[in-house]
Amino acid sequence: METLMVDRIHSSLRLFMHRNAIFLCERLCAQFPSEANLQLLATCYLHNNQPYAAYHILKGKKLPESRYLFAMSCFRMNLLREAEDTLCPVNEPNIESIQVPSGATGNYLLGVIYRCTGRMSAAAEQFTQALTVDPLLWAAYEELCILGVAEDADECFSEATALRLQQEHASTSALEKSNFANENRILSSSLPSSLGDIIPKQMKQLHANITAEVPGYHHVRGTALHVQSSAASNIAQFDTPSPATAQTSSIVPPPLFRNVHAYQNTISVDAPAKQKANGANQPLRRKYLDEARLKKVSGRLFNQSSESLPRRSARLSRDTAINSNSNISQFGGNGTDHSSGKLRVNSSTPSKLCSTAVRSVQVRKGKPRATENFDEGSRNEVIDEMWTDNEPATSSSVTTDGRFFEQDKAERIMSQDSKLAVGIRELLGLLRLLGEGFRLSCLFKCQEALEVFRKLPEPQFNTGWVLCQVGKAYFELVDYLESDHYFELAHRLSPCTLDGMDIYSTVLYHLNAEMRLSYLAQELISIDRLSPQAWCAVGNCFALRKDHETALKNFQRAVQLDSRFAYAHTLCGHEYSALEDYENSLKFYQCALQVDERHYNAWYGLGVVYLRQEKFEFAEHHFRRAFQINPRSSVLMCYLGMALHSLKRNEEALEMMEKAIAADKKNPLPKYQKALILLGLQKYTEALEELERLKEIAPHESSMYALMGKIYKQLNILDKAVFCFGIALDLKPPAADLAIIKAAMEKVHLPDELMDDDL
Amino acid sequence: MESDAEEETSATPAAAPAAGRLKGSPELTVDADMREMAKTAAWSVSSCKAGNGVAALRDDNLDTYWQSDGAQPHLVNIQFQKKVQLQLVVLYVDFKLDESYTPSKISIRAGDGFHNLKEIKTVELAKPVGWVHISLSGADPRETFIHTFMLQIAVLSNHLNGRDTHVRQIKIFGPRPNPVPRQPFHFISREFITYSTIR
Repeated sequence: METLMVDRIHSSLRLFMHRNAIFLCERLCAQFPSEANLQLLATCYLHNNQPYAAYHILKGKKLPESRYLFAMSCFRMNLLREAEDTLCPVNEPNIESIQVPSGATGNYLLGVIYRCTGRMSAAAEQFTQALTVDPLLWAAYEELCILGVAEDADECFSEATALRLQQEHASTSALEKSNFANENRILSSSLPSSLGDIIPKQMKQLHANITAEVPGYHHVRGTALHVQSSAASNIAQFDTPSPATAQTSSIVPPPLFRNVHAYQNTISVDAPAKQKANGANQPLRRKYLDEARLKKVSGRLFNQSSESLPRRSARLSRDTAINSNSNISQFGGNGTDHSSGKLRVNSSTPSKLCSTAVRSVQVRKGKPRATENFDEGSRNEVIDEMWTDNEPATSSSVTTDGRFFEQDKAERIMSQDSKLAVGIRELLGLLRLLGEGFRLSCLFKCQEALEVFRKLPEPQFNTGWVLCQVGKAYFELVDYLESDHYFELAHRLSPCTLDGMDIYSTVLYHLNAEMRLSYLAQELISIDRLSPQAWCAVGNCFALRKDHETALKNFQRAVQLDSRFAYAHTLCGHEYSALEDYENSLKFYQCALQVDERHYNAWYGLGVVYLRQEKFEFAEHHFRRAFQINPRSSVLMCYLGMALHSLKRNEEALEMMEKAIAADKKNPLPKYQKALILLGLQKYTEALEELERLKEIAPHESSMYALMGKIYKQLNILDKAVFCFGIALDLKPPAADLAIIKAAMEKVHLPDELMDDDL
Repeated sequence: MESDAEEETSATPAAAPAAGRLKGSPELTVDADMREMAKTAAWSVSSCKAGNGVAALRDDNLDTYWQSDGAQPHLVNIQFQKKVQLQLVVLYVDFKLDESYTPSKISIRAGDGFHNLKEIKTVELAKPVGWVHISLSGADPRETFIHTFMLQIAVLSNHLNGRDTHVRQIKIFGPRPNPVPRQPFHFISREFITYSTIR
């Protein structure tokens, strides 16, 4: 009865029937109280977004999986201290004692907790640890990049890693091979065990909350083939060779490795086609998503749970009838395709294709979001698919069942191994490119990042995540037109990817594209009212219209929705600054910095406030910090120069302006500032030269002509001065400037007076 | 160019009657480059009736009004935290509703404090209904703004010789600050504005 109930519970979870699952699970726990069942119940609660319930039942439990689930519930409820204590008990200094099925995801969770509580170096340690345990744990690498301490992607996803993964896999398969001789029973249980190992690892890897596998894991622990966790963790990424092939009358060794295919590749189209072609023997592939965020679990969970379900039943059926073959392979389509219809295919080998796929959702400085709903939606768009090159081969092999079965198993295993090796390398190659690109863009080496991203194969490139990254890189390079182009493409290709949309709204703000910005904001709100990015976009809309109060309200909503989203804090700070409420703006900038120290916009904002308050030393310090984080931004250099000029360190200021001019030829501001500084140094002719050059770039700028007028007045070339002032006035400056320029014009003919104090 | 400047700086909308008698307009029309200045200022009045105090002048509600309760002139004092540039004062009054409570002669004074206020503008109203825009600019373009610590709006007399006065809302406008700090001039062209800040 117990196994039957567990089976039904898994099936309910897989099919999103949470209440059913919870009910059954509660009956199960009442009838067969055991920690494994409690874990399953906790999983159900976490699925149903009731972390408090999971917290309650798991409190005090000591088993590693329970502790992981408990920590996850604590994290969801924002009880970071408790989560940390569970994962890393104070009286157990050895961090290796974190008993989660794969150390990697436990390390990752611990790392995130450290990061949220401000211990960056400890967090970095944890993430590195997670990566060493599980090199394909993309989320850990991502976090390291955000912290700015990631090592070269080439190192992380290197040949050495590939060899290691291959060896670990080979060792496992050797173990499995040795079991070939054993009776079916052990073989059948070995398969589920290895799969059982894999599933939890994959799940943890994806930061899934379920440990539906965990009970399964426990169940098979006792079997002969208990693979050691670290090895198993690496197996997680690959298909296991299926020793069970021996026992199954059908064929098809599971396709062992995947090649990266187009995002838009509709598996749903392929798979049915294949199924039609190959009938029930078609091993089904599963799509796999990697998660950057702990809370984004839904789709994967279902992937996982659906996997577990057949597996359990596979185990069940094997226990009862050795030769019954249930298909364990999963067919995870876009969430919608996840129907069970394709899951139960008899008599094909369980094939586990799990590879860590790159999430297409952009990872910027966001933090785990409050909602899961949006995640599910985005998942639909974000699914990456790993197909194997051997797919066609496999299908053909499927049709030649009998012949295949007659082949030598050892041979098959070896060819599987070599295919595995190729697969590992391909996956690592992909991750290497993406990792390197992401790392470079986090270090603001945007040109290099762009080059790396361009090396990606086209299907990978044309995905929401990558395009958003590219857009972001252009944004940092202050090339708003290109950025706009890529973000627009990203939004079109995957409209439910909200991660980069806050940056996109800022780009539109800079481009003064009011219509498009408000359209984008409306769209984002309609997609997900509870995402901070949508409200940031709305706020930017109002800010563009100079309605700072409403903009502030919207940004505050964004902050409320996700207080770990640094950009929302920064935008609030900007609005307060525009409203001249400097105290509050300082507060918000500092909040942003607490969340993410490398958020250079917040450093910049602080610098501007101090500049306005005439605390020039502070201003210079903050601009310099921002500059250290992003050394390529010509605007930052310009501001740093301005601060230096205010401190009367004019040579340094000029140097900085030169750098800024060199960094970006199209930026008129440093040239203008340089002219200002030269004017202050009374080097009038040079200033004039600078302004003349500037005329080429920005011919319709009244401030430029006004400045020229001033200089001519200083040089006593009065007719030119009047001429310049006239042009300046023609260009319709705002009222304040109008007054100044007119006043200046009238004073031109008066003898040399002191400059107006505001000039 | 001179007339251009005048058009821009003075914000009197449609009904600009002869002899400087203002009629008020139903719409509050203010240039985009102006913003409300008195949110952080200290407002006080010379006298008021219970329930119709100074808060009614700033509540963005045209149904509530301030009612004075003493001898003329009735004064509204606005003290800023620092010297500010002001350009425009806008009052909402309604003859149809308030009749003899409607102000008819208003004097605007500015200075550093109560001790050195100087009258800068006097206007007469003729049965006004709606927003009355009173520009503080002088003829000279150099006098577009007044720089002051304090503003005092004095109601010298009412319509039909009423003693007390009703004013429903008062707003004070001045120029927007430059989004780029420490600059002598504003930037207006796209190229400059795009590169001028980081957001």
